[in-house]
Amino acid sequence: MIRGTVIGQVWATRKAQGLEGHRLLLVAARDAEGRATGRLVVASDTLDARAGEDVTVAFGSGARNVLRPGPDNRDLLCDAAIATIVEGAE
Amino acid sequence: MFLGRVAGTVWSTVKWPQAQGLKLLLVRPYRLGDLPPGAVPADGGGAPSEPTDDLVVCADALDAGVGDDVIVAFGHAARVALSEKLPPGGKPMVPIDAAVVAVVDQVEIAR
Repeated sequence: MIRGTVIGQVWATRKAQGLEGHRLLLVAARDAEGRATGRLVVASDTLDARAGEDVTVAFGSGARNVLRPGPDNRDLLCDAAIATIVEGAE
Repeated sequence: MFLGRVAGTVWSTVKWPQAQGLKLLLVRPYRLGDLPPGAVPADGGGAPSEPTDDLVVCADALDAGVGDDVIVAFGHAARVALSEKLPPGGKPMVPIDAAVVAVVDQVEIAR
């Protein structure tokens, strides 16, 4: 997982069927000191995260478990998802 | 997933049979420094602005073209995107780990 800050949202009409209904957020990754690393990630959001909020993003099967927990979620098109909204880190 | 701009195409004649007919694109990922000023979170200590040239080769089933902004998914999600035309229960068998999953209309950066 990575920690980052939501900086925006991405819209697309031409997309894979599996992305239908996904809210896609643009997240700027941060390093251990809280500095932006420059890396940008697009993540599906089910937690209604807002711009400016710090979040964690899960990848791979961890991301699918955010959308639908359990073993039968390999049909989902998701490789990155907002897993938590961060309140603090030290 | 990441946001990137299509920079070119790749073609090959010798390939895994299951990859026949797949179009391959070169996509350059956007980094924070590529976004307009003001997109950088204020308390983030600034973004490195050096350009990156690490291109990603990805399969494309959405007919994206050079210059298009796209979203690319990795791993299993990429194979799911390429296999949506399979019958129910069909398993994604393509030897691919990156695919275009959306052609971007608009990116809204919060100020």
